[in-house]
Amino acid sequence: MTIDAEVQALSRVPLFEGLESSKLRLLAFISDRMEFQDGEDLCHQGDDGDSAFVVLSGEVAVFVDGNEVARVGQYAIIGEIAILCDVPRTATLRSVGVTHILAISKEDFLKLIAEFPKVSLEIMRVLALRLEKTTRELAQARPAPS
Amino acid sequence: MEKSLFQFIWKNSARYQVAILLVTLLSYPVSYILLDLPKKITNEAIQGSNFPVDFFGMQLGQIQYLAALCILFLVLVVVSNCIKLYLNVYKGRLGERMLRQLRFELFQRVLRFRLPHFKKVSSGEIIPMITAEVEDVGGFIGEAFALPAYQGGMLVVQVGFIFMQDPLLGLAAVSLYPVQGYIIPKLQKKVVRLSRQRVKNVRVIADKVGESISGISEIHGNDTSAWHSADLSSRLYRNFRIRFDIYNRKYFIKFVNNFMNQLTPFFFYFIGGYLVIKGELSIGALIAVIAAYKDLAGPWRELLTYYQMTADVSVKYQTVVENFDPPDLYEKQRLLDDEALAFSGPLAIDNLGLSGVGSGQEVHGVSLTIEPGKPTAISGVDGSGRAELLQMAAGLLSPTSGSVSVNQTSFESTAEATLGRQIAYVGGHLHVWTGTIRDNLFYGLRHRPQEKIEYEGSDLKKRQRQLKEAEMTLNPYFDLSARWEDLEQANVSSIHELEDKALELCNVAGFSRDLYLLGVETVIAKSYCEDPACEFVTSLLRARRAFSDKITDDAQLRNLVEFWDPKKFNQSANLAQNLFFASPKEHFMTIEHLPYDPQVSAFLKKSGMDEHLTEIGLKIATTMVELFADVSADSDLLNRYSFISREDLPEFDRIVKEHKGGLQNSRIKTADRARLIALALKLIPAKHRLGVLDEEMQEKIVASRAQFMEAVGRQNTRFEFFDPDTYLTTLSIEDNLVFGHARLDRRDARQKIQKILQEIVRDNDLIVPIRRAAFDYHVGIAGAKLSSHQRRLICLVRALLKNAHIYILDETASGLSAADKALREDLQKMMSEKVFLFGVSNDAVAEEFETAVHLENGRVIER
Repeated sequence: MTIDAEVQALSRVPLFEGLESSKLRLLAFISDRMEFQDGEDLCHQGDDGDSAFVVLSGEVAVFVDGNEVARVGQYAIIGEIAILCDVPRTATLRSVGVTHILAISKEDFLKLIAEFPKVSLEIMRVLALRLEKTTRELAQARPAPS
Repeated sequence: MEKSLFQFIWKNSARYQVAILLVTLLSYPVSYILLDLPKKITNEAIQGSNFPVDFFGMQLGQIQYLAALCILFLVLVVVSNCIKLYLNVYKGRLGERMLRQLRFELFQRVLRFRLPHFKKVSSGEIIPMITAEVEDVGGFIGEAFALPAYQGGMLVVQVGFIFMQDPLLGLAAVSLYPVQGYIIPKLQKKVVRLSRQRVKNVRVIADKVGESISGISEIHGNDTSAWHSADLSSRLYRNFRIRFDIYNRKYFIKFVNNFMNQLTPFFFYFIGGYLVIKGELSIGALIAVIAAYKDLAGPWRELLTYYQMTADVSVKYQTVVENFDPPDLYEKQRLLDDEALAFSGPLAIDNLGLSGVGSGQEVHGVSLTIEPGKPTAISGVDGSGRAELLQMAAGLLSPTSGSVSVNQTSFESTAEATLGRQIAYVGGHLHVWTGTIRDNLFYGLRHRPQEKIEYEGSDLKKRQRQLKEAEMTLNPYFDLSARWEDLEQANVSSIHELEDKALELCNVAGFSRDLYLLGVETVIAKSYCEDPACEFVTSLLRARRAFSDKITDDAQLRNLVEFWDPKKFNQSANLAQNLFFASPKEHFMTIEHLPYDPQVSAFLKKSGMDEHLTEIGLKIATTMVELFADVSADSDLLNRYSFISREDLPEFDRIVKEHKGGLQNSRIKTADRARLIALALKLIPAKHRLGVLDEEMQEKIVASRAQFMEAVGRQNTRFEFFDPDTYLTTLSIEDNLVFGHARLDRRDARQKIQKILQEIVRDNDLIVPIRRAAFDYHVGIAGAKLSSHQRRLICLVRALLKNAHIYILDETASGLSAADKALREDLQKMMSEKVFLFGVSNDAVAEEFETAVHLENGRVIER
C-alpha cells in the first residue's frame, strides 16, 4: 500500500475531511505505517496517549476494563483525542487478525498544525461542530422541565 | 644533552662530517679543472697555432686536441655531477638519521620526566617540539661543516686569484668584508631573539588549540567561544608581528649585503680604470679580475645564507633542548634495565614525606608496614594526601623525604622493570589506550618482546636494515611485530589461556555483561572469521539459522525481520543494499559516493539501472519538493522525515523544475544525475511508501544483483556480498546473526529481536565466545567509546592480570553499591598472598577492611 492509499484513508476521517490533499499527503508521509498480528495490542488502557490510529485494513477490538465494547473497521480513527490533549488511553485496542494501521504521532501532528495554521482552523471547525452536536444531544437527553 | 647544535652534531656525526669534507675536497680539483677547461679549449685548441701539441705524452693535431679536450670536459662533467649526487644523498641520509636520533632522544627524555614535571609542561607544547620544531635541524646537519668548507674554500681561491692579479684590487675586493662582518651579526642577533619569541609563541598557540579541543564542552557550555577566539586571534597577531619584524631584518640584511657587494665594482672601475690609464695594469687583467669578482658573489651569498640558517636552526635547537633537561630527570638505566627483582614480604613505608607541592597534596612523616595477606584501607578525603601517598607507595612519585621499600630495596633506586611488574596501581586518573580491549587488558604484560622472530629471505634483509639503522641512530632494537605479552608473568602457557584468564577476571570485576554487549557490536578480526574451519564462525552461522527459523515459525514473531534473501526484494532495506546486495569493505564509501565510483557507475550504465534510478530519484525529488516546499526552515519535520536535507532542497527544486517534462525530453547534467541516483539509492520502500517502485522494478532490481556480482567478481577487495551461508566480515556479530532488517512497521521490533537473539546465543553456547570476541572491540580514542565505569573496570582487570606482588587501588570499586561491595570482598579474597592497599574517601567503606588507616592533612590520624 502506498502513500496515495493512505491519503485516501485519511480523507475519509471526519477530523481531517476539510484538509487539502497536499497537507494530507504530508500528514500521511510523516505518519508510521504499522502491521499488527492477531491479538497484538495497539495500546493499553491507562497508558499515556501519544498517537492516533487510522485503520487502513482489518479490524480492531476495543476493550474497556477487560470487556470488549466495540469493534471498528477500515477508515476508522481511534484515539484521536490523544493527539490534541494529554489524556490517558480510555481503552485497550487489540488487533483482530492482521491489521494495517497508520499511526499519527502527537508530536508530529502538533508540529504540522504549528506549521500550517489553516489546518488548525479546519480542525477547530470540526471540533466545534462536534461540540455543538454534543451540546444539542445533551440538551435533548435532559428531561424537559416539568 | 648537548646544549649547542654544533656540539650535538660533532659528537654524534664527526666521522660522517669528516667523510663529507673529504669528498667535498675531492671535488675541488674537479671543479677547478672544469672551470679552467673551457678557457683552454677556446684559447689553445680553437685559437691556438703551435700544433702538434704534447698531451700526456701524445702528439696531437688541432682537431684531435680539440676532441681530446672536449671528451675530457665531458668526463669531468659526469664525474663532478656524480660526486654532487652522492654528496647530496649522503648528506640527506645523515640529516635524517641525526633527526631520528634527536627525536628519539627527546621522546625518551619525556619518558624519563618525573611525574610532577608534567604539571609544568603540556602535551600541546611538547608535541610540536619533537615533531615540527626540530625538522629544520635535519636538513641542516648534512651541510653543517661541508658548506662553509666548500664555499669558504671557493671564496679563498677566488680572492687569492684577484690578489695574484693585483694586490691593490685584491684589497678593494675585500675592503667591505670587515664592514659586512660587523654589521650583519649585529642585525642577525636581533633576528635570533625574535626567532626565539616566535618559537615560544607558536608553542603557546599549539597549547591553546590543544586545550580548546580538550575543553570543548566547557567552551560550548559557557558560551566562551568568543573569548577563546579573541585569545587565539591575539596570539596569531603577535605571531604576525614577530614574523613581520623578522622579515624586515632578514631582508634588510640581504639588502646590506647586496648593496655592499655591488659597491665593490665601483672601486674596481675607479681604481682599476685609473691603473689601466696609467699603464700599470693590463686591460685583460682588469676584465679577469672583474669576472673573478662576479664569481665571488656566489660563495659569499651562500655563506651568508648559511650563516643565517645556522643562527635560525641553533635557536630552534636550543629552545627545544632546554625544555628536555630538567635537573631531576630519572636515570636512563631506570627505563632500560630488564633485570626484574622478585618482590616478597611486606611493603615498608618509612617516615614518608612530600612537600613543595600544592596544598592538599602534601604528606608528612607517614610510616606504615603492610604485610602480605593483610588488606589495608587508606581512607581520607580528597586533599588529605591519600592519592599522593598511594602514588609514592606505587613508586610513581618520588618522596621528598623518607622511603618506600620492599626487603630493604628502596623504590627510588629500583628500575621500572621491577616496579612496573611487581606493583599494580589503578589510580584516580587512569588511561585507556586507543586500540582494542585486548590491547588494553594485556597492556600490563607488554614489557619487552617475548620472542625472537626468525626472518627469512627479503624479510630478513628488511629487518637487518632496520636493525642497522637503529644501531646508527641509538634507537632500540625491539621488534614490534613479535609477541610482547609475558605469559609467564600471568602464569599461563598460551595466548588462549591468557584470554581465558582475562575472561575469568572480567567476570570477577563485573565486566562480563558489558563485554557481551560490546561483543555483539564487534566486527570480528578478519583473519578469525575467514577461516572456514573456525568453530566460532560455524556456531555463529548455526545461530543465524536458528534465529531465522524461530522468527519464521513463531506466529507472534512472524515478519519481525526481513531477511537477506538473494531472490527477494527487501522492503525494509534501502535500494543500495537491495541492488548491490553487498556491504562495502571501505568505510569511506557512502551512498553519495557510490554514483561516482567507477566500478559502480560502469555497472549501473551496463545494466541500464542508471536510467531507472535517475527516474526514481526524480520522482522522489518531485514528491519531496511538493511535500516540504512550504514547510518553514526551522521546523524539524524536514530534518526528521525528508531524506533531502534543508540545504539540498533548493538544489533538488531546481532539478525538478528543469526536468518537468520527464527525462526523455531533456538532457541531464552528470552531477544532477549522480544526485538523483544517490537519492534513489537511499529510498527505503517500507519507510517512505512513496509508491515509486512497482513490482516489476523490484524484480528488475533483484535480477540485477547477479549482474553486479559478476561485474565486480565474487571475491573482490571492495564489496562483500550478502550470502545466507557466509559470515560477513564487514558486519558486526549482531548484524550477522540477524542477517536482515528489523521490520519498520512492527512495533518494538528491535527490542523483541534483541530478546530472541539473547535466547539463541545462550542456547548455542555463544555467550563466552562473544565475550571473547569483544576483546577485538575498538575502544575509540583513549577509550572514548566506553563509559568511564567500563574504562575503570578495564584498568582493574589489566592490573589483576599482571599478577603483581603489590596491589594499590585508589578510588576504584569504592562506591556504596552492592556490586562494588561484593567486588571489594572478592578482591580481598584474591589478595590473600599479596600486599593490598585500598584508597577510599569514604570511612565506612574503609571499615570493611581488616586494617584501616585514616589520613588527614597528610598525616595519619590515630582513632
